[in-house]
Amino acid sequence: MFFHYVDLSWRSLKRTPMVSLLMVIAIAVGIGITMTSLSVYHMMSADPIPSKSTQLHHVQLQTMDDGRDWWSDDNMPYQVTYPDAINLLNADLPYRRTAMIAAGFAVHVDDSDMKPFLERARVANADLFSMFNLEFIYGSAWTRNDEDSQASVVVISQSLNDTLFQGENSVGKTINLDGMTVRIVGVIKDWPTYVKYYDLNNGAFRDPEHIFLPFSLIAPNEIITWGNSNGWKAENVRGFQDKLKSEQFWVQFWVDLPTDEDELAYGQFLMSYMAEQQKLGRFARKELDFALRDVKQMMVYREVVNEDNKILVMLSFMFLAVCLANILGLLLAKFLRRAPEVGVRRALGASKTQVFIQHLVEVGLLGVIGGILGIFIAQAGLWGMRKSNDAYTVIADMDLTMLLSAPAIAVSVCILAGLYPAWLVCRTTPATYLKSQ
Amino acid sequence: MLNMNGISKVYQTEMVQTHALRDFDLQVNEGEFIAVTGPSGSGKTTFLNIAGVLEPFTQGQYLLDGVDIGKLNDNQRADIRNQKIGYIFQGFNLIPDLNLYENVEVPLRYRGIKAAERKRRIESSLEQVGLASRAKHLPQQLSGGQQQRVAIARALAGKPRFLLADEPTGNLDSLMARQVMELLEQINRDGATIVMVTHDPELARRAPRNIQVVDGQIADFSLYQGNPAAVVGA
Repeated sequence: MFFHYVDLSWRSLKRTPMVSLLMVIAIAVGIGITMTSLSVYHMMSADPIPSKSTQLHHVQLQTMDDGRDWWSDDNMPYQVTYPDAINLLNADLPYRRTAMIAAGFAVHVDDSDMKPFLERARVANADLFSMFNLEFIYGSAWTRNDEDSQASVVVISQSLNDTLFQGENSVGKTINLDGMTVRIVGVIKDWPTYVKYYDLNNGAFRDPEHIFLPFSLIAPNEIITWGNSNGWKAENVRGFQDKLKSEQFWVQFWVDLPTDEDELAYGQFLMSYMAEQQKLGRFARKELDFALRDVKQMMVYREVVNEDNKILVMLSFMFLAVCLANILGLLLAKFLRRAPEVGVRRALGASKTQVFIQHLVEVGLLGVIGGILGIFIAQAGLWGMRKSNDAYTVIADMDLTMLLSAPAIAVSVCILAGLYPAWLVCRTTPATYLKSQ
Repeated sequence: MLNMNGISKVYQTEMVQTHALRDFDLQVNEGEFIAVTGPSGSGKTTFLNIAGVLEPFTQGQYLLDGVDIGKLNDNQRADIRNQKIGYIFQGFNLIPDLNLYENVEVPLRYRGIKAAERKRRIESSLEQVGLASRAKHLPQQLSGGQQQRVAIARALAGKPRFLLADEPTGNLDSLMARQVMELLEQINRDGATIVMVTHDPELARRAPRNIQVVDGQIADFSLYQGNPAAVVGA
């Protein structure tokens, strides 16, 4: 019977082409605009690493003296100092962890045909790869021994490997980063994320890096950060070694805490670490404080999805509601005009439920058509966003969830709009229209 | 077959109360062919709508094939209409988007009859009314008489025991009207009980039993009663 209803619905739509077209356009425009904003919101707010998002924790330490303010919601610096990062890395604890900074280099290889180019890099510890589920296609991460010996090693992404070595296994080959020659020990698949949740200090929606260097190379090679460096007190920082010893915040620190107990234990460790540092003359404050946030908490804390995006989604749904009201009016007119036919069907044995379902199938079909058309409008909207602003290049896109959601939302809103007209027409008393036909 | 006792129907608006039927008593036996006549506004169509379970009544008791119609809910009433009753309307009431085959199919689909059986019944009933070759035509491609025959085929396809006809020849010329009437008589001879509302005294005379409705009541129950064969032959 369902397919019969679909057939009847299709005929009904063809019978009143202008009204049907108007309704489809109303749905398509409403869905198109809603899906455009919803897709962006969805991509912004989606969990970027579902299997690990609750166990990867970002560390923040309140190292400022009493009376100093930071601009974060909880008055807590977003990053840690280099000395703190080194101390936390060296702590004798069983948790995987990595300090990291953003950096960048002029990349060149021993090939006269290839011009040097600038490339952003991430300087981190070897645990980064296993913590953030980065998958190797050639080689592996550098070793702890490489870190301790400050070996000049590097891991590159598949994209960069394709550019430099045409996709061949490049492990063992060398590349030059500024003046530093580094040996490739591994090639990873491109970091599969569109949100740079591991470093939200310089824009959440930039491409992940393609070069990864050991954190231990920062000091000997004086690798400067391409990210933020923030100071909170007057210090005499005259050179790179001064910066390493300073109280400036420029390092991100992540630790892998699989259980709640681990999180609690690590929190206690941080408190004792800060108390120890206090004895050494740092952390001049009455109350010590720290923050451990998992990936999703961090995204909320740093407002990856800001208020503007939420308002935009709300506005688009309000627009969809306006479309819905128009569709409701058109459906009312169309269905009530068909009351005589419904009277005949009722006389011939159709129950109210059957008539009701038949009309809901018709609005559902409208929703499917409008939803599919809406996807094209949304794609056009997203294309426009990508072209208008580089920040949207990665996130103004529809994933499979959103592609499937579009017709689902369209059908749902159409059925919502069709409930009242369908209910009204199914209540047709059979006798009313039979004589007047 | 049909047993109405003290049926009354009141249409109520804010200002006016209209008694369409009052204390209406009627018994129709299995296999009868009854013509219902009466002036306009006398309550003939209201009687037919109530008899056909198309609208509720205000008071009284109505038993159709032993079922107390007054106690049925809407879905049960729909089932009764679908399974026991066939309708033929003055305006044919065919669905314009559906071809003849599909029009005849409508009540069968609601009854949940399987496709093969539907096909058999549709072809058989279209054959019976002489329109099998035009099954794919749309109603508007047919004459009035042909459309009425399709409506009869639609009523017949469900194999109803009770056929209600409201002015079935009202929109037809005399030749077409005679053909439709002959078809109804044949259907009656095949066993269906028929109640036909008509303004046409000549058609009424062809029915074996006549009742006349005046002011919502049966006025003269035996006016045209007599030998059916004699009436038809007159």
